[in-house]
Amino acid sequence: MRFFQTLLRIDRRIIYLVVAGLVMLPLVRPLGLGVTSGPRAQVLFDVIDSLPSGKTVLISVDFDPASMPELYPMMAAVMRHAFARDLKVLICGLWVTGPGLADRALSEIPPEYGKEYGKDVVYLGWKAGVDAVILGMGENIKSVFPVDYQGHPLESLPMMNEVAKLRDIPIAVIFSAGDPGYRDWIRYGQTRYGLRVSAGITAVSAADAYPYLQTGQLTGLLAGMKGGAEYEILVQKSGYSNAYMPAVAAMDSQSLAHVVIMLLVIVGNVAYFATRKRGA
Amino acid sequence: MHVSTDILTWLAVVLTLGIFSFLWKDNPFYKFCEHLFVGVAAGYTICVTWHNSVYPDLITPLFGQGQLLFSIPLLLGLCYFARFIPRVSWLIRFPMAFVLGWASGVAIPAALQADVLRQVQGTFLTPSIFARWDVFLWALISFVGVVSSILYFFFSREHKGALKLASETGIIFLMVGFGASFGYTVMARMSLLIGRFQFLLRDWLGVIR
Repeated sequence: MRFFQTLLRIDRRIIYLVVAGLVMLPLVRPLGLGVTSGPRAQVLFDVIDSLPSGKTVLISVDFDPASMPELYPMMAAVMRHAFARDLKVLICGLWVTGPGLADRALSEIPPEYGKEYGKDVVYLGWKAGVDAVILGMGENIKSVFPVDYQGHPLESLPMMNEVAKLRDIPIAVIFSAGDPGYRDWIRYGQTRYGLRVSAGITAVSAADAYPYLQTGQLTGLLAGMKGGAEYEILVQKSGYSNAYMPAVAAMDSQSLAHVVIMLLVIVGNVAYFATRKRGA
Repeated sequence: MHVSTDILTWLAVVLTLGIFSFLWKDNPFYKFCEHLFVGVAAGYTICVTWHNSVYPDLITPLFGQGQLLFSIPLLLGLCYFARFIPRVSWLIRFPMAFVLGWASGVAIPAALQADVLRQVQGTFLTPSIFARWDVFLWALISFVGVVSSILYFFFSREHKGALKLASETGIIFLMVGFGASFGYTVMARMSLLIGRFQFLLRDWLGVIR
């Protein structure tokens, strides 16, 4: 019984150290536990894979640096897939903290595939007024974004001659860390303009997104770092990219951390009930 | 091992470790990092908002192109600042009324369509679910879960008899839902920790590829 009481009194900092050690260890020495892709990632992959070359994929950067470990890898993987399939990528955002992240992706990924700004990829930037932005893009993208993030008039960008409004876009992939996010694109973009919406979301909000998946309002779903890893695997297996896969590299750490948390939950509960019984 | 020589990486490392130091205990270094973050975030937001929204969508059309219609949103926007002057603080009601009226008009039909009607539709047992037995089973479970969870929140009648059975079934579904949410939350927080460790081990120390 003293053993259980000791367990309940363990300093939380010891638990932090154990978790930190177990997270770091597989990063340095991967365990090779493996990652398999699930059906939800596969649906999105198949849709993008089946688009005729030259079509445009809309990517909305609706997250901030705090959610970067979860959402940036999946966004990079989707962009790589689109460029490898010779699709065009139109980027925008509803989060004021997104422009820096989109800018980083733009500087890293298009050059890997020899893609040219203005011809193969355009970044519209961020605008205030979530619903007004989406509804405006449904009517005329140039009315909401007369110039792109870098200040070029959209008329001067060849890619924007083929994309005037949301109906010209076969699929939008929303990388969303909360609100505003994929729900707004469904409410305004899909309900009113028939936009096909897919989402890459943080794990925290994954449980809330499943109802939209079941109704078909979401076409595929990437949930958390695991979702990113699934998409990275699909892109790499298809030979579209051999870039470093941060989400896949993190999966061993994620698995070990989950095992530790599960053990702590079990041990904590056993210790609690054991000591409570004795007290009663 | 290849330690970064980039000063910005070192700055990010110092701030990361400063925030992590809270895990040991609250300290001035953590407080400094926290306040710095709040300040930088606010400054960044103001700059991006100015350059991406206020300047191109208000200042340029109004003062650069002489489109006087834009003076209306400018005046409405300025009314928000009336809050700081007690004598005219009532002026804030105008922009608030405009925003509430416009946002409700736009949001209610869209939310009703996307979040209520389509979700109710998705809960119903439709003929397409009979195509495969496993699809039917999941649809049935989903249907029972939705109905019993709603019945749990039905307070107009005492929960006894059939209603008690239904509401207790609802609790089971709610607990499964909370468990799934908690599991995903653990996964999310661990992902963020892993992201920081990847930064420390790869970008800073260069011990991983």
